[in-house]
Amino acid sequence: MNNFLSLKNITVIYSDFKALDNISFSMNAGELVFVIGANGSGKSTFIKVIAGLRNIKSGEIIRPSKISYVPQIETADRDFPANVFEIVMTGLQRRNKLFYSHDDKNKAMKIISALGLNDFIKRRLNTLSGGQFRRVLLARALCGEPELLLLDEPCAGLDTKSHRDFYDILAEINSKGTAIIIVTHDRGDFDDIKYNRIVEISNGRIFEHERIS
Amino acid sequence: MSEFLELLSYPFVIRALIAGSLISVCAAVIGVILVLKHYSLIGHGLSEVGFASLSIAAFLNLPYMLVSIPLMILSAFGILFVSQKYKAGGDNAIAIASSGALAAGILINSFNNTGSNIFSYLFGSVLAMSEFDFMLAIILSLSILGIFIIFYNRIFLITYNEEYARSLGINTTFYSGIISILTAFIVVIGMRITGTLLISGIIILPAICARNFNGGFLKLIIISGVIAFLTFIAGIILSLMFNTPSGAAIILVNIILLIIIKIIRP
Repeated sequence: MNNFLSLKNITVIYSDFKALDNISFSMNAGELVFVIGANGSGKSTFIKVIAGLRNIKSGEIIRPSKISYVPQIETADRDFPANVFEIVMTGLQRRNKLFYSHDDKNKAMKIISALGLNDFIKRRLNTLSGGQFRRVLLARALCGEPELLLLDEPCAGLDTKSHRDFYDILAEINSKGTAIIIVTHDRGDFDDIKYNRIVEISNGRIFEHERIS
Repeated sequence: MSEFLELLSYPFVIRALIAGSLISVCAAVIGVILVLKHYSLIGHGLSEVGFASLSIAAFLNLPYMLVSIPLMILSAFGILFVSQKYKAGGDNAIAIASSGALAAGILINSFNNTGSNIFSYLFGSVLAMSEFDFMLAIILSLSILGIFIIFYNRIFLITYNEEYARSLGINTTFYSGIISILTAFIVVIGMRITGTLLISGIIILPAICARNFNGGFLKLIIISGVIAFLTFIAGIILSLMFNTPSGAAIILVNIILLIIIKIIRP
């Protein structure tokens, strides 16, 4: 088994529906992998299993200790009455840590600045554009200094420029060694970033689609 | 006004003002969480459990708090966990807990002739607080504020997005439990101000008023607390001036404020 990320014979069942059916998948440190599939194919379940958010019925997983997960955007998230700084800081929360240190705040400010969000730190989430909000969620994820970054439909609904800008940021993060898995239904995303592989999930099964060496 | 100032020389009025302010602020702080988590009616559901506790305590001749605190905590846990497990089950859980508790309370009361005592809890009266109630209110209020401050970052995270919190390795069940306990505490002591019938008002109305202001989560909590304090004082002054029940006056001041805010900031 690959010892960076490896899923072996994973099955996930919701009631009597098999969301993932005996799938195996592995990736190396620093890789960038696209996961595609139709609505309801199991691709969000797949990424949630890697994030540790779904219980598996059977199988074996080896995953890196530092994973950050950027979920699909829900309207409720944007309507939540919090400002950008408060949301980014949550990325620094850990199981055994109740308070933020001064260093934590500096670290968050550094990431906020790197993602061009300085002018928005006091802004409420529902006053941001789709692209700005995506960057907030990315900043939050980066606060955890992830070895593996999981993104579920990160560019859905963005205009072309915001879309390209977002992928430029991801390319930079990936170039520094962070492995990335991007779930998307938009095949146009493949043109915006250099990737290693594309895998497709269909009816809970996984298919290797394309491998760029 | 001079009459009101004269009233301030009475220890029971001072006690009511101190305890009532603290309880109102705590209720409003917890109220923000409950409103944002769509559990606005949990206070109402728990107040019916409070009524049942009162009936049981009267029937068994036990101190009210001894019965109500564990029953409230159990019920708050039950409601929050049912809501969590069956995503759309929150309203149903509250309806089951409140109607079940109310029915149990009425039945127990029918075997026991303690109507007048229970009546005082239905409508509450902060001005009729005993020394024991006062001390309990202070201790529980300070405990609520202390727990809230210690777990503030976690409570914020859980309120914002539980799934995301789980992805960070946070034990969301534990923190939902903390929110349940805080809610139960606030209903137990809040019943003394507004009574079981109006308790959910002091929990959620300041938070709903505060939601109309801009700013982050912390600012929302602070505005909610300030609104709760001011509406409590205004309600008490009105109830003393017109000799009306204090709980109802506080709730109506909150409602009027909400209408004014909605007109100014539509």
